[in-house]
Amino acid sequence: MSDASPDTSSRRRLRQARDRLATALITAGGIGVVVAVLAIGVFLALEALPLLWLPSGTETLGLSALAWGTLEAAAWSLVIAVPLSLGAAIHSAMFMSRRLRSRLKPTLELMEALPGVVIGFVAGLVMAPWVERHLGEVFALIVLLPPGLLLAAGLRACLPYRWQRWLPMGYAGLWLVPWLLLVMATALWLSPWLEVWWFGGDLRDWLEQGLGLDVAMRNALVVGVAMGFAVIPSVYALAEEALSGVPSSLAEGAQALGATRWQTLWRVMLPAASPGVLAAVMIGAGRAVGETMIVLMASGNAALMTLNPLDGLQSLAAGIAIELPEADPGGAHYRWLMLAALLLFLFTFLVNTLAELVRTGLRRRYRQLGGNA
Amino acid sequence: MIGVWHAWRGRTPRGEGPWAWLSAGSVALSLLALAALLLLLTVRGLGHFWPADVALVTLADGQQLAGVPVREVALPGDGRERLYRTGNAELEDGVWAWVPVAAITEVEYPRELVRVERRRGDEMVGWLVGMTREDGRWIEGARAWTALQERLHVLQGLRETRDRLRETVILPHVSEREPGDGDTPELTRAYARLQELQAAMEGGRLILRAAGGERLVVPLEALQSARRPNAMSAIDKLADWSDAVWRFLTEGPRAANTRGGVWPAIFGTVLMVILMSVMVMPFGVLAAVYLNEVAHQGRVTRLVRIAVRNLAGVPSIVYGVFGLGVFVYGIGGTLDTWFFEERLPSPTFGTGGLLWASLTLALLTLPVVIVATEEGLARIPDQQREGALALGATRLEMLSRVVLPMATPAMLTGLILAVARAAGEVAPLMLVGVAKLAPQVPVDGHFPFLHLDRKFMHLGYHVYDVALHSGDLQAALPLAYATALLLVLVILVLNLTAIFLRHYLRVRHGMPSPR
Repeated sequence: MSDASPDTSSRRRLRQARDRLATALITAGGIGVVVAVLAIGVFLALEALPLLWLPSGTETLGLSALAWGTLEAAAWSLVIAVPLSLGAAIHSAMFMSRRLRSRLKPTLELMEALPGVVIGFVAGLVMAPWVERHLGEVFALIVLLPPGLLLAAGLRACLPYRWQRWLPMGYAGLWLVPWLLLVMATALWLSPWLEVWWFGGDLRDWLEQGLGLDVAMRNALVVGVAMGFAVIPSVYALAEEALSGVPSSLAEGAQALGATRWQTLWRVMLPAASPGVLAAVMIGAGRAVGETMIVLMASGNAALMTLNPLDGLQSLAAGIAIELPEADPGGAHYRWLMLAALLLFLFTFLVNTLAELVRTGLRRRYRQLGGNA
Repeated sequence: MIGVWHAWRGRTPRGEGPWAWLSAGSVALSLLALAALLLLLTVRGLGHFWPADVALVTLADGQQLAGVPVREVALPGDGRERLYRTGNAELEDGVWAWVPVAAITEVEYPRELVRVERRRGDEMVGWLVGMTREDGRWIEGARAWTALQERLHVLQGLRETRDRLRETVILPHVSEREPGDGDTPELTRAYARLQELQAAMEGGRLILRAAGGERLVVPLEALQSARRPNAMSAIDKLADWSDAVWRFLTEGPRAANTRGGVWPAIFGTVLMVILMSVMVMPFGVLAAVYLNEVAHQGRVTRLVRIAVRNLAGVPSIVYGVFGLGVFVYGIGGTLDTWFFEERLPSPTFGTGGLLWASLTLALLTLPVVIVATEEGLARIPDQQREGALALGATRLEMLSRVVLPMATPAMLTGLILAVARAAGEVAPLMLVGVAKLAPQVPVDGHFPFLHLDRKFMHLGYHVYDVALHSGDLQAALPLAYATALLLVLVILVLNLTAIFLRHYLRVRHGMPSPR
């Protein structure tokens, strides 16, 4: 490696020139790509800007109804997704066997990859008609599932110890599945009696005449369940990450002082991980707000502003998907839809940034606490 | 109940309490929901192709009907009702029949019942009375069945020849022709041949007797296939089933997307995804290399990194809006005024098309590729880089010989995840170029071979369209199931590949899992 000869030195100059060129290209390309990606927000803002000097009162698109629908759908999906995904995260961080956890994570990752159009299809064309015809059964399912689970726990405790070992807590996520099926079948079987007992025969009549609520086939509740299903994996992944990142010294210390696993979790781990859990919920909310196909196919697309979970709704994203192809570019309608897109962009971007900052801060805190995250 | 409670408090060594069990239940419920969804898609998607037995139902009032049982629901009050798909749309009570289960006196499965699938419109169910051949001869009985099968086979061959002729000769010539020109000799010849084929297909009718006794007459060229499902053995049915699945995958849609296959949608999805990968990979890797290897690791880079990561969470419809505004109306409109002025006002690139769709999806998946590649780059120990530099390599050589080869599996993971995400996205495509029905696939033998300005069909959009916008939902639903299953399978396989690749990567580099 001597550079005495003129030949090698010229080669070296060539190599260095090439290196400088490549670095410049990479820099230019990298900055270009990043700028192009970030240009989305700027573009939407520029397109929506002329709305400011539009004569007021020309056309307002009913953006408020769409925004309401978006928030309503997101709220219902979080009502479904947050308990389920946080429960799953808690279970897999604290109780689940390591083996099962390493299998569960990729499974839920696959669940996250399911396309929205398929979930929307099943929700809108299979679940919605069924729910419409079987409101009482749905109610019975919701009411009877938690006691059914606790009953499983109670029955297990009554078993002889030898049998209990066949049903370990670490694998409860698996062996509870057939039990759940059994509970569901029982709930479906019991539902006619329950309906008679609680609602005097028919839940639907009771809702419509007793409470004056409309019941639409494709309603906010169906959207909430479907979108909750779509949101569960991402919330689970982030919450589980936050919980399992809690320094093990904390949990071990609490348990050494005599706390049960649940007490450890509730009093020590959850407070420590709460920012991360909050970030997970926020990211779930961001995803629910922007999801298009599920709302489009399962909501009935009626721009209503009601609190009734059994009535239809339309979201910003669905409104854009339906109306933008027909809107005249440059017209007022087009600009309103651009504003809708801008709102979606800003909301998700801000929520995600906030969540990311929270997570970064949390990771730093864990490191200070001496964890290995 | 109290006893149970005490037993539980007393026996559980650590007294987990009810909440632990509820959290376990939420795992079980999530898994159950996932399994139920996949099972539903599989059963309904694949079951549609199975040649189900045709039941001959005799009712209490002596009426008879023949059809395939579809489902059963409980009536309000007592009793159940069963839905039969009876076909025979020309009869008054055709296609679907709800029958109270209590009114059924007898259900038989006669071997001679024939189920005829039509090219358009609904199927027919009945007994074969006979057929007139294309030369006008009348055949009945067992010979009619064999003659019918032969004729259908011939018709299928003729149809394939005709379609090939149309696709390879006539369509390219017609699209090339200037508006004022007459037919070229080649085109005239092709038209003559087309008419010959058309004439060869005509003639001949099939006569069926429906369960109610009505006679049904149908021209043979309107038929797709005829089978006697009750007389088929399980192996015959399996062969028939795989044939039907194969035709679903390789044929085009018929009858406004409610019949036939999804081949153009598969083709469109795959082509769009390939184009998108070609566009996204270089830029994504470039940006990742810049962010991780070249840029000064300061506050700005960190913020940019967070921003890029967050763009993965921006709703896909927003990307669609961006694609429509910038690519289609902006760039596409400008291209049209520059190069395709003679075709205005009908737009060439100023409307949604393959190019804009794949560009939009490339933008959408860019964050995925950048994040995955960066993760791979960050895993490579700094000693590797320092070693290369210490041995006299320039930065370019260090990157291209040492760092990038080591990061290849990560890039591949990024690519697969990007493809899986892109294949399932529908919302942005609705704005930038997907079509309900695109008879011409975007690739043909006609210059420039790959037509980037054409609209294309997409599996996900096909599901949406079939499920929400078809006239006869009951008939179209099985097709939507099958298409959805296909889409899910493609995406699951891609994701599984990515998961295994990442696992392999971790094992090879002997590193703990990230985060």
